[in-house]
Amino acid sequence: MGGRLHPFTLLAIAAALPALAWILPAPTGGAWTAAVALVLTLTPGASPGLTDTGSSPGWRPGLVVFRTAVLTAAPFWLFLLLLHDVPTTIAIGLRVTTMVASFVWLVAALEPARLVEAMVAAGWSASVAYLLAATLRAVPLLKTRAQRIVEAQRCRGLSPRGGIAARLRALRALALPLVLSALHEVDERALALETRGLVPGIRRTPLAPPPDPAVEQAARWALLLACLAALVRRFI
Amino acid sequence: MRSLTLDHASFWYPATESPALRDVTLDVAQGEVVALVGALGAGASTLLLVAADLAPRVTGGRLAGAVARRDRSGIVLPTPWTQSSGMAFTVWDEVAFGPANLGWPTHEIARQVDRALERLELVPLASRDPATLSGGELQRVIIAAILAMDPGLVLFDEPAAELDAEGARTLWRLIRLLAREGKAVLLATSALDALPDVADRVVWLEDGAVRAVGTPDLLAEVAVCDAGLGTSVATVWRASGLPEPYPLTVAHAVQRWQ
Amino acid sequence: MSIRLLALIPVAAAISLALSAAVDAVALPLFLDTTGTILATALAGPGVGIATGVMTSVVNTLRNPTFWPFVVVQIIVALYAWIAARAGLFRSFRTAVPAGLGLGVIASVTSTPISYLVFGCTTTGGIALTTALGKALGLPPLGACFFGSFVSDFGDKAVTFALVTSVLHALPRRTAARFPWALRAIGAA
Repeated sequence: MGGRLHPFTLLAIAAALPALAWILPAPTGGAWTAAVALVLTLTPGASPGLTDTGSSPGWRPGLVVFRTAVLTAAPFWLFLLLLHDVPTTIAIGLRVTTMVASFVWLVAALEPARLVEAMVAAGWSASVAYLLAATLRAVPLLKTRAQRIVEAQRCRGLSPRGGIAARLRALRALALPLVLSALHEVDERALALETRGLVPGIRRTPLAPPPDPAVEQAARWALLLACLAALVRRFI
Repeated sequence: MRSLTLDHASFWYPATESPALRDVTLDVAQGEVVALVGALGAGASTLLLVAADLAPRVTGGRLAGAVARRDRSGIVLPTPWTQSSGMAFTVWDEVAFGPANLGWPTHEIARQVDRALERLELVPLASRDPATLSGGELQRVIIAAILAMDPGLVLFDEPAAELDAEGARTLWRLIRLLAREGKAVLLATSALDALPDVADRVVWLEDGAVRAVGTPDLLAEVAVCDAGLGTSVATVWRASGLPEPYPLTVAHAVQRWQ
Repeated sequence: MSIRLLALIPVAAAISLALSAAVDAVALPLFLDTTGTILATALAGPGVGIATGVMTSVVNTLRNPTFWPFVVVQIIVALYAWIAARAGLFRSFRTAVPAGLGLGVIASVTSTPISYLVFGCTTTGGIALTTALGKALGLPPLGACFFGSFVSDFGDKAVTFALVTSVLHALPRRTAARFPWALRAIGAA
């Protein structure tokens, strides 16, 4: 289901479920939304390839996403039991489970490339689309570089042992090369973006805009209205 | 017809007192390949940034003198991983990034992208994620990305740095082809041995100023070889104590020897 | 916004998220997840800092959805960092570390209501356990929750400010001059 929906529809569902979990009276509201969110994680459109779950022999792809949602939400239930009574634990636990399951499903179902194209097609500024895509691409690259710096410094004798002062000095020795090299590249990136036409105010041609049927647009509006209606009903 | 003209151009980077370019006068015609050679810090990269209208507009700093550009320019910088758009998840999309930003219709984007991919022998990699490519492959993608924007003035800063020998040969052939198509090409490179076949003119930069301009034969002149900027053949000839004039290429050396 | 500042935002956000490798290597109980936000603000002002904080939260949320409600904290951090940069507080550790401690208090005050109302103070195991400790010491629920956030934020923000100060001073002048606020943040303009 998730893979064929328009990216904005996926975002709307993933935002509406946690909103309703908090707006609707606990624990029933949270139970319904958590159930819907967990069922979504079992849908065929939720691909484990986009969820950082690793391989799980014997688990069907949908179950892998479900498992990720459950394992991410589980610690919250334990900590809630530690701090609160049972009714409060259930009320908050169901809300958190809804949030976690919705977003885990979203990450599994949403292709970043499709989202970027949807944003461009909808007339969003190319700069905003760039920020989202470039940040998603930059994080793993910088993480890999950070790991290489750590390994290189370890070869030079860096040790996690010692007092706090020694560890803070070691932290500086690891962090400074990473940050300075990344900042140095900002200039080159700016030059490259400029030369390839990413300037403020451009009207970029969408390359492969995902189809956005009227029924999905209506569904998104309906979700928004449902949340507003629930909010009004809750407080009036 | 001149594509680029620099007239007594000088440039200072922000917070620096000495200029990175001093009183440079240079022009590049359509259909011409001009090569910039010089030691590290000679100002070749800065000259390319000025030519591309990126200095001082993006870099900051101060420009004195006049720069006139007739055509849209595209510049290929030395490090491919900082030039990727960050917005593309396939090679095809990466190459299409620039044309899409120009607001071209999709059929024109597709035509330019497919043509650029073919020229750089990248068609088998079209659906690959750019983040998974080697440095050489990514550099070819970036070159294709610039060419897909159909610039009239193409600027290269050490374009062969990440390429293997075969990739470099493909690149030099492509540069000559671009000139035959009427594009103006300005190229900074330390691959001096390629220049006799690639460049129409060579500009020797030293300390931000133009020291000499000439045909590729310049790379066999005594002063240039003394500065460590001669071709390999000229350098070896000189180091062997053989008499001037130094040969530029193997063919010249064979002729001299005979 | 210029292209250079636009290019800075994803890099700064990625810095916040990549520093976890360094933190793990030295086995210190720190997050440093606002480093990019503070650095971007000190270099380029509050708009860039806020955008960096929001992008950091977006990417963090994709990893763990419980981060999203704390985007407000990233925005507050950016605004505080801007005030610190305007006052040149990154000019030395002697001014930066106390400023970081101040941010630790403000970040705790901002994150506590979010943690309490949305998550019942269970955002991380560490916060949950220190909250339980606070409860055991007789603190009221909100106070115990603040205690939990404070313990994690106080030192973390001081170290972050010190790290950003190191970076700003290590930047070559020519590079720093290209960012509108960098020299002022270290008291050099």
